[in-house]
Amino acid sequence: LTEPDGELPIIEFVTPMPGFPEHRRFVLARIEGTELLYALRAVDDPAVRFLVAPPAPFFPAYAPEIDDHSLEMLQVSDPSALLVLLVLSVQDHPEKTTANLLAPIVVDQNSRRAAQVVLAGNELSIRTPLATA
Amino acid sequence: MLVLTRRQGESVMVGDEVVITVLEVRGEVIRLGIQAPRSVQVHREEVYKELQRANREAALATDVTSEDVARAVANLLGNSPTAAGIGGGLAAGRGDTRKAEDSSESE
Repeated sequence: LTEPDGELPIIEFVTPMPGFPEHRRFVLARIEGTELLYALRAVDDPAVRFLVAPPAPFFPAYAPEIDDHSLEMLQVSDPSALLVLLVLSVQDHPEKTTANLLAPIVVDQNSRRAAQVVLAGNELSIRTPLATA
Repeated sequence: MLVLTRRQGESVMVGDEVVITVLEVRGEVIRLGIQAPRSVQVHREEVYKELQRANREAALATDVTSEDVARAVANLLGNSPTAAGIGGGLAAGRGDTRKAEDSSESE
């Protein structure tokens, strides 16, 4: 799945992220100098970008259950190919960074289809501090 | 706003494919069943609006994807992460063999 230099695989949101109805196509790029953090950028508008991270290093106990409707929406054939990414929100100070545990981005690594999925149950916070993880 | 009266067990249709059924009425609480095509996401309104707000905040903050900010965020981890990058060839990144030396080494 390695892409030629300069061309990143395009991730297509089957339904746009709330707040960004115009943007469906994104690329994911590792951020230099970190092992854990990635930039998710809109293909057609580089100003639209999110800092995302796999949950495991920050929230080892996090085990999101993706509902059937979302799996259907993504047309997932192999659930083990699902990649979960948390949207991080960096405020004025990095130590106040929060992660959205309620609504992770789920990517089917086979098809590169993605969606931001709201998990059932309401014990998860949209703004969980990273520092206390 | 269109206003309709429905009894328990009755439904309304939105367009050709979305069916909303009143499943149960119990005091002030009403349970709805929603059938929608798989391309349609259904959210509680307050959750959707909160998510919209959170996403915009996350995207519009200072250059969240700059290396400096990212490194500071990565350093919030209390221990040296051993996790490898994500797989599947989804993400490009030079320095794939780099270790997590940039993360904090304190406990």
